[in-house]
Amino acid sequence: MSAKVWAIGAGKGGVGKSFVTASLGISLTKLGQSVLVIDFDLGGANLHTHLGLDPSLPSLQSYLSGESPLANLIRPTPVPRLSLIQGCWDVWEHGRCTDQTAVNLVEEARKLPYDVVLIDLGPGTGKCGLDAFSQADQKVLVTSPEPTSVEKNYRFLEAFILHRASQSCSPEGLQELKKSLQKFRAEKKKGFFSFRQHLSETGGFSPNLFSEILEQPVHIVVNSSRSHDDQQLGYAVRSVCKKYYDLRVNYLGAIDFDNAVWHAVRNREPFLIAKPFTTLSGQFLNLARSLQEPEIPFTLQRAAV
Amino acid sequence: MEVQSRYNYYDILEVPQHCPQHDITMAYERARLTYSGDNPAIYTMFSSEEARHLLQLVEEAFSVLGNKTLRALYDEKIGQKRVGSDLSFAALQSESKVVFKETAKRVHSPKQDYKVNPDFETEIRSCSEWTGEMLKKVREYKNFTLEKLSDTTKVGSYYINAIEGEDPKNLPAAVYVRGYVSQLSKVLGLDEKRVCDSYMKRFKERLPKT
Repeated sequence: MSAKVWAIGAGKGGVGKSFVTASLGISLTKLGQSVLVIDFDLGGANLHTHLGLDPSLPSLQSYLSGESPLANLIRPTPVPRLSLIQGCWDVWEHGRCTDQTAVNLVEEARKLPYDVVLIDLGPGTGKCGLDAFSQADQKVLVTSPEPTSVEKNYRFLEAFILHRASQSCSPEGLQELKKSLQKFRAEKKKGFFSFRQHLSETGGFSPNLFSEILEQPVHIVVNSSRSHDDQQLGYAVRSVCKKYYDLRVNYLGAIDFDNAVWHAVRNREPFLIAKPFTTLSGQFLNLARSLQEPEIPFTLQRAAV
Repeated sequence: MEVQSRYNYYDILEVPQHCPQHDITMAYERARLTYSGDNPAIYTMFSSEEARHLLQLVEEAFSVLGNKTLRALYDEKIGQKRVGSDLSFAALQSESKVVFKETAKRVHSPKQDYKVNPDFETEIRSCSEWTGEMLKKVREYKNFTLEKLSDTTKVGSYYINAIEGEDPKNLPAAVYVRGYVSQLSKVLGLDEKRVCDSYMKRFKERLPKT
């Protein structure tokens, strides 16, 4: 059986991608899975810090430059059944990413002897990150409750839609699509509408554009939620995506804010190992479970727990 | 299809058509939170005007789906898929009134099982001094036994007897007696206020002086 690849991305930096990746990885090992986490942040990786490790060589850089296969870069972590591939932390040699790099990386990661491979993407909408994101079996988008983060995640989703469309469209078609999106954004909208509807009405684009994306909906995680309103934010984002793009996204759940996280990172120890009996560790377990079996809604699982 | 896509309230609230009622309420609460105020989630996606418009739609959708009667009617309509059928809120509301016409409240009127005596009827109407004896006469005229009257009015037959005998020693405080008399006269088809006022005046005169 090939490994499942989960990609964790975000439009904005500093919302907790690496923390969520590390914690999801640890939660999965608690569920009996063997897990590999790959730090795919090409400009300044720090997933190792969240796992309580010092940066090491060789890093993913060796893979990107073609020096060594992925399997040779795996290093153990203090957490049983959890391994890490060190990201490119030597910034003077930026990770170079060609057209096929990310696609190949995901393909190769699937062949590794693990149950789940987590890929921690860099922030923003770089092509490389989007490639990996759209290739992954599960796509997780991390947001914090700040408007800046939410806004950037919408841009990320747009970039993701266009990226997906670019694979099935001709370059001219893509230009048309971009123009159409721009026009849609500029015009005054009234009532019940969606981008998908707009496309089929004006451009004659096939409404099936999204059906592929819908097969594996993007999962939203609200990180460092401090209030009930923050927890509800995921539903609001889901609703906006549905109304604006007619794109179904799934709200996985919220992770509470906890000062202990900051403390654990500062002490450079994995949070779920340092503080295993917190609300957060339960929340991460739930996230991990519902990503493993997406059929069961998170809320139901929470009720069962 | 056009009519449906423009007015499908389920799509607006983002719930499946056969979801339980509380899901609709929950979806409505969430939608209201999303599109009113400054929710960070609508920032850069919807202008405040667009959000207000969406909120109106959400409110309209909930006013139909949140109401069981209107929802049933709406379900029936979108099930028929008739072209040109009016799915607007106003139409639904007016139709709900046609289908479920409110029937006038039925007034309970006891069967008349006594022989009408015109002379006595005029005596009742002209009576200005309501004594216990008079109440007893009316009761007997209307074919009420003590037990039957006690059963309908829930006033003990012992008290009815005492009221008819104008016997304050066997009755509770005046305020309760007034309630009893009012109840009795209602069942006997008399003018409550007139009977009470007149009877209680006499009753108070007969109360032992302290």
